[in-house]
Amino acid sequence: MLDDSKPLFVAVAEQIEDGILDGTYAEDDPVPSTNELAAFLRINPATAGKGFNLLVDAGVLIKRRGIGMFVAPGAREALRHRRRLAFQDQFIAPLLREAAQLGISAEDLADMITKEVAR
Amino acid sequence: MTAIVTRQLAKHYPEVRALDGVSIALEEHRIHGLLGRNGAGKTTLMQLLTGQVFATSGSMQVLGASPVENAEVLAQTCFIQESQKYPDTFRAIDVLRIAAGAYPHWDQAFADQLIDEFRLPVKRAIKKLSRGQLSAIGIVIGLASRAPITFFDEPYLGLDAVARRMFYDRLLADFSEHPRTVVLSTHHIDEVANLLEHVVILDQGRVLLDADTDELHHAAIEVSGRAADVDAFLTGREVLDRTALGALATATLTARDGDERAAREAGLDVSPVSLQALFVHLTRASAAAAAATASVSATDVANH
Amino acid sequence: MRIRNVVQLHTVNKLQAFGWPLVFMILSLALVLIVGSLIVNVAAADEPGARESMRQGMLWNGAIFALLGPLIGFGFTAMGQYFPLALGLGLTRREFAAGTALVFAGNAAFYAVIIAIGKAIEVATGGFGIGIRFFDVVYTGTGAWWQTLIQTFLLILTVMLVGAAITTAFHRWGQSFLWVFWIALAAVVLAFVAAILLSEPFQDLAGAAAAMDWGWWMLVLAALGAVGATVWLALVRRAQAR
Repeated sequence: MLDDSKPLFVAVAEQIEDGILDGTYAEDDPVPSTNELAAFLRINPATAGKGFNLLVDAGVLIKRRGIGMFVAPGAREALRHRRRLAFQDQFIAPLLREAAQLGISAEDLADMITKEVAR
Repeated sequence: MTAIVTRQLAKHYPEVRALDGVSIALEEHRIHGLLGRNGAGKTTLMQLLTGQVFATSGSMQVLGASPVENAEVLAQTCFIQESQKYPDTFRAIDVLRIAAGAYPHWDQAFADQLIDEFRLPVKRAIKKLSRGQLSAIGIVIGLASRAPITFFDEPYLGLDAVARRMFYDRLLADFSEHPRTVVLSTHHIDEVANLLEHVVILDQGRVLLDADTDELHHAAIEVSGRAADVDAFLTGREVLDRTALGALATATLTARDGDERAAREAGLDVSPVSLQALFVHLTRASAAAAAATASVSATDVANH
Repeated sequence: MRIRNVVQLHTVNKLQAFGWPLVFMILSLALVLIVGSLIVNVAAADEPGARESMRQGMLWNGAIFALLGPLIGFGFTAMGQYFPLALGLGLTRREFAAGTALVFAGNAAFYAVIIAIGKAIEVATGGFGIGIRFFDVVYTGTGAWWQTLIQTFLLILTVMLVGAAITTAFHRWGQSFLWVFWIALAAVVLAFVAAILLSEPFQDLAGAAAAMDWGWWMLVLAALGAVGATVWLALVRRAQAR
C-alpha cells in the first residue's frame, strides 16, 4: 500500500496528497486523525503524525486546535503545481532512459504518446 | 523524558559475556524495537532493566531510578518474557487474577476482550496449554497491564500469523489511545518495522546500531545491474553484501546523499533496503569482522 | 509493600492451597479408620490387650504425612515455582520474602489448629472408638493438646523454611551445592553414629538428650527453623531469575 522507496512518513504524506489531488478530500474537508490513519495503515502514530506535519508545514493541511486537521484552501492547485515540477524528474527522465535502452527514438515516443491519448 | 538510560551496562556469566558495555537511552511514549540474533543479549538487557538479574557493572535508570528491588519503579513496568515459568498447578485465570492485582493500571475490560479475541481457555491448567496459548497469556497481561513501561520479549512464540497480526493491531490501537513506553524484541522484523519508532540492534552483547527508524530508511541502498557497473559504483564504499550471477551482480552498501540518482544514472537498478534486510546485512558484516579480527590475532599469537 | 499480592500469589488457586491437602488428610484418615476397624473387628476380637498394643504401635503411624508431605513440599515449590513468577510480575525479593514468610506461618498455624482439634477428638473418643492413632502420634506430639499445637506449628514452619533455604541454595550454586550438602549431612550422621557406638561419654550425652523434656526439643526445632530462615533470607536477596 505504501511506497517503500521513501521514508514511511513521506509515503504517508504522499498518500494524503493523492487523496487531495483525486478529489477524495475536498478543500476544507477534514482528514483522518493521526490515530485513525495509523491504525488503518498499521504504522506507528508518531510516523503518521510526522507525515501530517510535513503537509502542515507545506501549507497543504491546516490544524484547527481541538478539532483536527483540514485540507487547506488552494491545496489542490498548490499540489498540482508542485507535482508538475517533479513530473519531469520522476516520470520523463526514467521514460527516456528506458526508451533509450530499447532503442525507441523521440519520434516513436511522440507517436506512442499520441496513440495512447487517443485511446 | 527518557524512560530508560543505561551506561556501559554489562552482565558477565562464567561462560559468556551476555551484555558487554551497553549504553542506550530510550525516550518515553515510543515503541522501541530491540533486535538481535539469538544470544545477542536482548533478554539479558530486559532482565537487567526489570531487576530480575543483577548487573556485573555499569548503571541503569528506569523512570529516573535504579529498578533493582525498587517496588515503586517495578510497579510501573511489565515484563512479558517468552520463558516465563508458572507454578505447576496454575491455570491461566490464576495468573491473570494476580496480574490484575500487581499492575496498578490494569484494565479488566480490556483483558476480557483480549481473552476472547485470542480464544484463551482461562480455566485450563497452564501445563496443558499450547505454546501459542501460553504466549497469549503474556500478550493479554502485557497489554491489559497498561504499565507505563512494557517489555515484550518475543511474545508471540507459537502464535500463527493471524494471531500475530491481532497482537500488532491491538498494541497499536492501545498505544495510540493510552501512550506508554514499549520495548519489543522480535525476530519477525519486517512484520513490525512500521510499528517501531526507534531501533536498537544488539550483537554479541554490544550495541550494533541505535537509531530512529526514519533515519534507517536511507541508511543502506541496494543496487543491481551489470557486475562491472556495480563494482565501479562500489569502489571506495562500505559494502554490506555483494552477490553475483554470471555478469550480473547485486550489492548492498551504506548509503550517502545522492546515491539513488547517481546509481540510476550509472544504469543500475536501485531498491530500498528493508529494516530486516539491513539487520541481516549488519549482523553478518559484524560477525565477519569479528572473525577477521579473531583470525588476525590468532596469527599474531602464532607468529610471536 | 505489596505483601497482599504475594499472599494472593500463593493462595489464588484455592484448590491447590487448601483443597488437596485437606482431601489427602481425610482420605488417609479414612484409610486408617477402615484398616483399624477391620483389625479390631476381625483380627483382635478375642484378645483384650490387642486394642491397647495397636494403640501403642501406632504411635509411629506416619499416615499424617499425607497432610504434612505436601506442606513440606511447599517450602521447595515456593522458591522453585512461585519466586520466578513473583519476579516476573515485578515484585521485589523483599516483598516476596515477607509475603511468603507470612504464608508459611499462616499455613503452619492453620494446619496446627486442625491437627490439634483432630487430636483432641481422637483422644476424647479413645482413637475414634477403635483405638487407632492418626493425629496423636510422635511427630505431632503425644502430650497435651497445646503441646501438639505448638509442636505441629514449629514442625511445619521449620520444614518449610529449611526447604526454601535448600531450594534457594540449589538455584544459586547448582549441583555442587547438593553434593556438598549431602556429603556434609552424611558426614555428620556418620560421626554421630560412630560417636554413639564408640564413645561412652557420648552415649551418656545422647541418652540425656533423648530424655530431654519436650520444651528443649521444641527449642531445638525452633533453632533449626531460625537457621533455615536466616539462610533463606540471606540467599534470596541475591537470587536471580534463570
